Amino acid sequence: MINRATKLIMIFFLIGWALIGCSEKSTTQGNIDEGKSKEKLTAVTTIGMIADIVANVGKEHVEVMPLMGPGVDPHLYKATQGDIGKLDKADIIFYNGLNLEGKMGDIFVRMANQKPTIAVSEKIDPGILREPPEFEGHYDPHIWFNVKLWMQATERVKEALIKEDAAHKEDYEQNAAAYLKKLEELDTYAKEQIASIPEASRVLVTAHDAFGYFGDAYGIKVMGLQGISTDAEYGLKDVQNLVNVLVNQRIKAVFIESSVSPKAIEAVVQGAKEKGHEVKIGGELFSDAMGEAGTPEGTYIGMVRHNIDSIVAALK
Amino acid sequence: MSHGLWIIITGSLVAASCGFVGCFLILRRMAMLGDAISHAVLPGIVIAFFLSNSTDNVFMLMGATVIGVLTAFFIQTLHTAGVQEDAAIGVVFTSLFAIGVVLVSLFASDIHLDVQHVLYGEIAYVPWDMATLAGVEMPRAVWMISGVFALSLLIVGLFYKELKLVSFDAQMAAAAGIPVVFIHYLLMALVSMNTVAAFESVGAILVVAMLVVPGAAAYLLTDRLGAMLGLSIVFGIVSACAGYIIAVYFDVSISGAMTTSAGLLFMLCFLFSPRYGVVSRVLEQRRLKKAT
Repeated sequence: MINRATKLIMIFFLIGWALIGCSEKSTTQGNIDEGKSKEKLTAVTTIGMIADIVANVGKEHVEVMPLMGPGVDPHLYKATQGDIGKLDKADIIFYNGLNLEGKMGDIFVRMANQKPTIAVSEKIDPGILREPPEFEGHYDPHIWFNVKLWMQATERVKEALIKEDAAHKEDYEQNAAAYLKKLEELDTYAKEQIASIPEASRVLVTAHDAFGYFGDAYGIKVMGLQGISTDAEYGLKDVQNLVNVLVNQRIKAVFIESSVSPKAIEAVVQGAKEKGHEVKIGGELFSDAMGEAGTPEGTYIGMVRHNIDSIVAALK
Repeated sequence: MSHGLWIIITGSLVAASCGFVGCFLILRRMAMLGDAISHAVLPGIVIAFFLSNSTDNVFMLMGATVIGVLTAFFIQTLHTAGVQEDAAIGVVFTSLFAIGVVLVSLFASDIHLDVQHVLYGEIAYVPWDMATLAGVEMPRAVWMISGVFALSLLIVGLFYKELKLVSFDAQMAAAAGIPVVFIHYLLMALVSMNTVAAFESVGAILVVAMLVVPGAAAYLLTDRLGAMLGLSIVFGIVSACAGYIIAVYFDVSISGAMTTSAGLLFMLCFLFSPRYGVVSRVLEQRRLKKAT
């Protein structure tokens, strides 16, 4: 019996070693590929909105590799084997920071001694960030909803690219200036459009609390069912409060989000209906992820425009 | 050393360490303890956050460990008092998880606080999180898990006879003067330490699976505890290696692929185990029929 067991164990060890051998080979192959074509700067980004900045500022000098695709909730992102190769090849890494990426963000902080890792939010004055009163220092990470803040993120990307690749300094500065101009226009557009909604109906009701910066910047009251954490279930009272606000202020529409289940918000619509107030679903807003690549909503500017247009069309 | 090799080493260590202690859980019919702990740690991290006002690894790990051990303690206490094993696990982890959810929605709904975000690690990022100890540089996860694994081996080595007797026949063990309750608590504490350390390094799914699957597969192949422990370690390592290859080939989640290959390995054992396998039993029946 003992003999049999030890034999079995030995066989499995042999198989194990053979497998390790195989996989070693495949990783070294990966390293050989990496040696080629080093003219372009390789930048890895987390959320699509950051990839968009880097692509617009870097243009032909930078190859952008986003980790999170369209429709992916950054809070729940799971890494794949390919990410290791991407992070390995990267000359520079851009992430949002402010704890949006959770433990992945911690890893980027630790990687900083091997290659530049840049949190695009790091130069923003903490004084203008949203901070829950009870928890100092735990800022709301969804800064891209305020175009002005996202312009500061763009500046940060520009600085980092110039530092890494000084030879193309002028191109980066030109590209960044052109992109910043577009963002400036976007900001003005947002202000004008939201201001065109009658003041009493300027209430944005969504499933989860991501639109705080949007509300502050463009003067619209934001109400979410759920807190920022997706583990915080909404309470019965939350639903009732929201329904009362809808009914009392005669608000016409509520919104669903691309990366959160619409179920909760549908309960609110139903609740308002029972009280004799018809609320429609004003459309889907992009919150934590952009639309499919190739569509207008697949860029940062397109996504913000889509959000603004949907809100204005539904609430006006 | 290459990133791939570190990931294989981390995966193998997690699989071996969890598979090893998991054997005792299977024998005690508490295989889902790992899953229970993965949910039950929520109030731990919430309370640790309130006390430290930080989502730093160290505090989260401390909170999770305390609650993990408490979970095991509560389950064991309920079981000793006469509640069935599975019911005890179910009651304890759902209550603790619910307390966590209530705490989050009462006090912390404005910040991002959940286990995926602040506690669970991701095996893909292990190679970038290096730590130097005594002049040796290894990923932090490898340090942590090999430490826990060594401790598990030491404790099981010291109490091997007691653990064996308690796992198979608690009443006889009690009659022989072995402190059964103490041994139970010791084992549960060991499991929760293993689990929490592994959660922090590689995430939940891999750990929950490795606590159960390698041990269950080994149980199909042997009736001896020593061989079962050895085999479960080997199965764990083989699944980790095979899983990594699958992950490279299909470009998918590494812990997902490792867990899947553990499942496949179990299927093989289930079908072809010499004594309990489906195929060998059919063959045996045919042989008997022919003989008559």
